[in-house]
Amino acid sequence: MKAFVGSGGRGYGLITGTELTSAMMRMPSSQATAARRQTRHLACVVALLCLAPTAAFAQSLQTDHVRAQLISEHLALVPGQSMQVGLLLQHEPHWHTYWMNPGDSGLPTTIEWNPPRGFKAQDIEWPLPKRFDVGGLYNFGYDDEVLLPVTLAVPADAQPGTRAHIRANAKWLVCREECIPEKASLVLDLPIDVAPAKPDPRWTKQFANARLAQPQATAWKGAARLDGDRVVITLRGPGLPPADGLDAFVTQKKLFDNKPPNIRKDGDALIVDAGKSEYFGTSPATIDLVVTAPAPAGIRGWHVQVPFTDASAPAQ
Amino acid sequence: MKPRLMILAAALTFFAVPVLAKPVIGQPAPDFSVTDAAGKTQALSAYKGKTVVLEWNNPECPFVRKHYGADNMQKQQAEAAAQGVVWLTVNSGAKGKQGHLDPAAATAYVAQQQSKEAAYLIDTDGKVGHAYDAKTTPHMYVIDKDGTLRYMGGIDSIASTEVDDIPKATQYVRQALTELAAGKPVSVATSEPYGCSVKYGS
Repeated sequence: MKAFVGSGGRGYGLITGTELTSAMMRMPSSQATAARRQTRHLACVVALLCLAPTAAFAQSLQTDHVRAQLISEHLALVPGQSMQVGLLLQHEPHWHTYWMNPGDSGLPTTIEWNPPRGFKAQDIEWPLPKRFDVGGLYNFGYDDEVLLPVTLAVPADAQPGTRAHIRANAKWLVCREECIPEKASLVLDLPIDVAPAKPDPRWTKQFANARLAQPQATAWKGAARLDGDRVVITLRGPGLPPADGLDAFVTQKKLFDNKPPNIRKDGDALIVDAGKSEYFGTSPATIDLVVTAPAPAGIRGWHVQVPFTDASAPAQ
Repeated sequence: MKPRLMILAAALTFFAVPVLAKPVIGQPAPDFSVTDAAGKTQALSAYKGKTVVLEWNNPECPFVRKHYGADNMQKQQAEAAAQGVVWLTVNSGAKGKQGHLDPAAATAYVAQQQSKEAAYLIDTDGKVGHAYDAKTTPHMYVIDKDGTLRYMGGIDSIASTEVDDIPKATQYVRQALTELAAGKPVSVATSEPYGCSVKYGS
């Protein structure tokens, strides 16, 4: 396992109370597990420092199956601007973390930001998810490397020449078939500088990929309806992709049964025919649908909001 | 001939549905017959006249550990037993998968956890799990005295692995049992279960 240390070796690092809760991993046998009655055990992990060759430094944390760190697209933060930062998760092969809707099991990754006064971190801009088949159950999330981007609003009165010390508590569940909840206190320390901000060359690729992995807005029009135990969505409009290889996800839970939907063309329409969740309650006003397609490098996809026409609703 | 075939096809479709159906609130809960950790055969039909709780378990799942480590599951099992409710814990972990227990290990686990279920069912082939479409550990079901499914879903309302969330969460199984005992309808009859995936065999 390679340690992650910035190439420069210059600069200064900082270790905060970094904690990792690694619950119940590598239990040799059920008996051994059963022999201990406990909620969780704490594993202390040494935080590896990312020593940047520049003024910016960030902390990275290596857990058993994930390396996590906060990164910034630019080397400095500019007063009054919205900057891209994010949580970079690098998974050990076969392990994954979760999308905002994790599927049949799992938990979405959360980031609780604690930036300096006046700074405001937005929600995670969720990249397109992948589907994982876990013994006939389905999970949605990320393997390999993923950047969960977040927009950070820098206050107009931030003083060039000072630094911003941005802390965040990140939590994720990492699973292969078995799962481990982990959390980390991470920090991103960046100088405040005047525009234009220079991109950090270490993360150019990650932020570029994260943009490509965002669901694209579309001008598609659609409608969703219940058909027995199916949710059938009809999409029409410019730039509909061919049906081959498509997958579809909903950001809301308790709508689809999480099995791969049947996606087909019907004339000029694209039909997404998904199993209805057995936890389906009342129909939502709209369905937040994400359609993904395989692409040469990773996946590409689209986002569309589709009004729900509930055939089973009593007539008004 | 053709219309008749169509009617036949329609009839087949109609009758095929209940066989393939998932468990449905307000409908009879699927019956099962499976061996428990003590080697005794356990059938749902044997508990007609009693309220039954099914709890899907994997001792090594962090979500299960959350509720056992905080004594939440054992407390609710004891409360249920005191009300004459039959609590059956089910392990559908396949051999070689995380959390699978043989009868001896299951007996040791129950003793270790001081859990208060009426029986710990060894569902290694996943038959009971698939009949109930159990997806996660924990995944909970409440069946009334007539054998009707009254609740299915999570143990509580906060999907997390954090023990601190338990007191803040609505305990759906406890709520359902209290309402059933009072002759009231179950106010939250379904919730999305949360946890680890059930480790079925292929």
